[in-house]
Order: sequence, then structure tokens, then C-alpha cells
Amino acid sequence: MTDLALVGFVTLSAALLAIGLFGILTRRNFILLLIAIEIAMNAAILNFVYFAAYAGGTAGLTGQAIAVVLVGFAATEVAVGLAIVLALNRLKGTINVAQATELKL
Amino acid sequence: MDLSSFAGPFLPEILLLAGTLLVFLFDVLGVRTTERVGAVAVGATALALLFVVADLGFAPLTFLRTIPAGQLDAAASGTPLYAFTSLGLVFQAIFLLATLLVSLASLSRPSRDRGAPIFFGLLQLAALGMLLVALASDLIFLLLAIEVTSIATYLLVAYTRHDSRSLEAAMKMYIIGALSTTLSFFGASLLYGAYQTTSLLAIARDGGAAGFPVLVLLGYGFLIVGLAFKATLVPFHAWAVDAYDGAPTDVTAFLAGGSKKVGLFAFFLIFLAPILFVRAAAPGGSPFTSGAVALGPVLQITLSVLAVGTMTLGNVLALLQKEMKRMLAYSSISQAGYMLIGIAVGTAPALAGATLQIFAHVFMKTGAFLLVAGVTAWGVGPLIDDWKGLGTRRPFVGVAFALMLLSLAGVPLTVGFVSKFVLFSAAVQAQGYFVWLAVAGLLNSALSVFYYARVLRVMYFEEPAARATPTGAVAGGSEPPVLPAGGLGYGRATAILLAVVLIVAVGVYPQPVLGAIQAAATHFVNLGA
Repeated sequence: MTDLALVGFVTLSAALLAIGLFGILTRRNFILLLIAIEIAMNAAILNFVYFAAYAGGTAGLTGQAIAVVLVGFAATEVAVGLAIVLALNRLKGTINVAQATELKL
Repeated sequence: MDLSSFAGPFLPEILLLAGTLLVFLFDVLGVRTTERVGAVAVGATALALLFVVADLGFAPLTFLRTIPAGQLDAAASGTPLYAFTSLGLVFQAIFLLATLLVSLASLSRPSRDRGAPIFFGLLQLAALGMLLVALASDLIFLLLAIEVTSIATYLLVAYTRHDSRSLEAAMKMYIIGALSTTLSFFGASLLYGAYQTTSLLAIARDGGAAGFPVLVLLGYGFLIVGLAFKATLVPFHAWAVDAYDGAPTDVTAFLAGGSKKVGLFAFFLIFLAPILFVRAAAPGGSPFTSGAVALGPVLQITLSVLAVGTMTLGNVLALLQKEMKRMLAYSSISQAGYMLIGIAVGTAPALAGATLQIFAHVFMKTGAFLLVAGVTAWGVGPLIDDWKGLGTRRPFVGVAFALMLLSLAGVPLTVGFVSKFVLFSAAVQAQGYFVWLAVAGLLNSALSVFYYARVLRVMYFEEPAARATPTGAVAGGSEPPVLPAGGLGYGRATAILLAVVLIVAVGVYPQPVLGAIQAAATHFVNLGA
């Protein structure tokens, strides 16, 4: 992979991160928030893939292994998030984050 | 390598994992009383703590050592995922003490408490993640270990499932936690791109010869922000107060005393290498330069600003609180600022001071939250003013709480004084602008006395308000709210007594603990050199 291609790819993941962060800051629906978090997480995972391809050799294998582990980790995190949404929905009948105002901020 | 010599050093972790699985097995088999599952948790944690203390080399316990003598603080070669360092062991002991206090106290909850197996199981799982954090010498291993703790704590906060305040706290904590995790991993990916390795040891050894200097600065920047959320540093602290307030108070004790320290120890592991290398290479060109900017000083200034901001804002906001739990939560935030001083200064004495401060904070803050949980169970309200006259009516609770608050404020003959003294004098010795960090710390300690003293005044010198009769008229005389006859319960009383004894014992005679921590910090600083 050339340096120029790497810069392009990293710019792409930076854009993904920005999209994810924007979603986290603006969305009020918990499910959409989870999706936004996933988009931002995928930016980090993609970074590992690019840098692994750029590094090559043993150093590259590390990056690939990390990318696979992080995919599994992201799934775990979302599972926990969905569990919280379910409990919240059962109790309050809404998954809107803006309506969670019992604790003053 | 046979299995036992490989698994031996991991005995504490294995014990906690076995404890977790056993508790969940009990749940399936229908054994769900608080006493039974709690006993498993207390036993596993206490045993693990015993082995960790033995590995630290305390004389009467050395026959229990599980880590071969050559493996501790060894100059590691290659890129191992984990390393046994004495500072890591000290932190394991701190984490296990916090877990032990919380599980002991939780034994006193109602026997038929729903979800007791979930609570104790997740508590041990979180402790397991914390132990792994203390072993990490690889960035990804470290971040994943932090996540084991984080995911367990999100669920701990929400475990009752029927309290909308807890669920709301869990939701806020989850969103912020997931965001901070994402930022940390993004930073780690940039560092991997720059160094082509994720081993913290390898980065420290090579002096961080990076292919892309810009990536290094950005990577460390993202990591600071991500971990600052975990360690509740200002301006990334707002979630913590809500989470601490809404969570069941026993869980809050664990969050404030235990899992928050994970973020601080991650700061130790990640940011010390660049800071130390700049100092080692000061005469010639620094190897840790990134473009035109030397990385070490930039990190030190950033961490110093975060430290001063955290302790000042934490203290000022604590001063304004009317509720006990929120006041303690803000005080916990300001304490994180003191601890960060040690990392910003980056010398061995400063590290020892920060570690002792973290050690002290376990007894002071975990103990205080556990006590608040017990008192709340008596029906005392959430406001500080609801505690009127409690000191005289319940002498044990009053004295214990007073000692914890005095220690938090840093009054002599308590452990809080010793830790602040060691920390601030190390900052002064380091010269330069670090002297101002010590000054800021001292001023903040003075400020914090106000809100701790207010609680003492309410507890001891104010009479309980007259209780309103059902008709709304005030009853004649000053009839205080009725406190139930029972005490705190044996488990909770033991935990609080243990915390108070350690606060005073280490405060009066700090040498054994302080010596061990100082030796560990010196080893740790010399690892990279």
C-alpha cells in the first residue's frame, strides 16, 4: 500500500468517526444512538485493517488479529446496550434518551 | 512449559473467575439467598487478596508466593501481553480491597433480595477485569481489560431492573462509556499505525521511533480524552455524578472506590513511557519527539491542566451540593485530580504519592458510600440536612463517618494526610511548574474542608427538625424521625470497621504500606530505562 492510499483510507475512517460522533451528540433515540456508536467503533476497526496492510509481515498480523477481536467486542457491547434498552422500555414505555430526566444533570 | 507453572501466577484471576461461575451456577440451581452467594464472593475475593499480598513479599505470607522470584519486575524482552510488576500487584491489592469491602457490606442486605446472584457475580467479573488491567503491558490488552470491567459495571448499575433511576443512570453511563471506549480504541489504532506495534513495553524500549509523528500526537490525544471519561476528569465528568447518584449505593461505592481507579492506572501505563523517556534523554536530543514538538512535556502540561481543572471544579461543585451522594460524587471527582498530579510529575516519589492516594481513597470513599447505603436503609433521606443529629444518636456511625470525612480532607493522623503529604512534597521536589501543582492541591484541600466540615456540623451540632404531624401542624417539642432498632448488619459494620481501622492505622504508622508502594513505584519507573 502506498503512503497516499493510506492517507486516503485514514481520512475515510476519520470521516466515519465524525459521522458517529455527530450521531451520538444529536440522536435522541437509544437504538439510533447504538448505531451511531457502532459507526464510530468501526472507524477504529477499519484503521487497524489499513495499518495492518500497510505494515505487512508479523506487525501486520497483529493488526488483523486486533480487528477481528474488536468486531467481537463491539457485538458484546451492543448486546449489553440492548439489554438496558429492553429493561428501560419495559419500565417506562419509551426509549427516548431526552425523556430520561429523573436525575438532574 | 507445564500448565501449573503457567497458570500459577494467575491464581487470583482464576479464583475470581471460578467465584463468578460458581455464583451463576448457584443461581441456576436455585440457591439465591444473599448470604450464600455473598459468602462465595467474599471468600474468592479474600483468597485472591491473600495471594496478591503474598506475591508482594509481606514476610509472614511469602510461602504462598505464586509468581516465581525472577518473573516479578523482570526486564521483559519481546512484546508480551502482560507483565508482573510490583506496582501492578499493589493496584491488584487496592482493587481487591475495594471489592472485598463492597461484597462484605452487601452481605447485610435482605436475605431475599432479588438479583443477589447477579450482583455478586458481576461484582467479581468486574474485579477480574480490574486485575487484568493491573497486569497489562499491551495497549489492546489494557483497553479490553478495562472493557471487561466497564461492561460488568453498566450491568451492575442496572441490575435491579425495576428502579427507573438506576436504569437511567445505567443508560447515561453506557452511552458515555461506549463513546469513551470508541475514542480510546481509535487512539490506539492511530498509535498502532505510527509504531506498528501495540506493546507498551516495545514503545517504551524503542523510545517511540514513529513512522508518522502526527499520528502519535493524535493517538495520545484520543487516548487522553477516552480515558479521562473513565477516570472522571473535568470536563469529562458530568456523567459520573448522575451515575453515582442513580446507582444502588453499594454499586456506587464500587464505582467510586474501585472501577474509576482502572482509568487512572491506565494513565500510569500509557503516559508514563513518553514522560519518562524525555527525562532520561534530556541532555541530548529527546527520542520521544514528534515533529517539532517533544511529546513528553506536551503530555505533562496537558495532564497538569486536567489535574488542576478537575480538583478545582470538583471541589467548587461539591461545595454547592445539598444531597449527600452527589456531594460525595463531586468530592470523588476532585480526588481524581490529586491522583493525576502524580502522573503529570512522573517521578518515582510522585507515583508513590498518587498510588497511596488511590489506596487511601478506597477506604475513605468506598467506606463512606457503604455507610451512606446503610444509613439510607434506615429511612434517612438523601439530603445532607436529613443527617441532623445522627452523630450523637448513632455514635459508631457518627465517628466512622467523621473519620472518613476528616481523612478525605487530609487531617493529620489519617491516611488522607499521609498520601497528600507524600504527593505534594514529590511535586515540590520535581521543581519547575510542578510546584504550582502542589500549591493548587493545597488550596483545594483547604477548600474541601468547608463541605466536609458542614456535614460534621450537621451530624453533631444540629438538632433534628421537628417532625410534621399528618395534619401538617408541627408536633410539640422536637421529636426526631424514628430510626429502626437494628444496626447496620454484621457484614456492613465489619466492612466499615475495616475501612476505619485502616484509615487510622496507616495514618498513624504508614511505614510498611508506604515503603512497599515506594519500592514498587521505583521498580516501575526503572522498567522502561
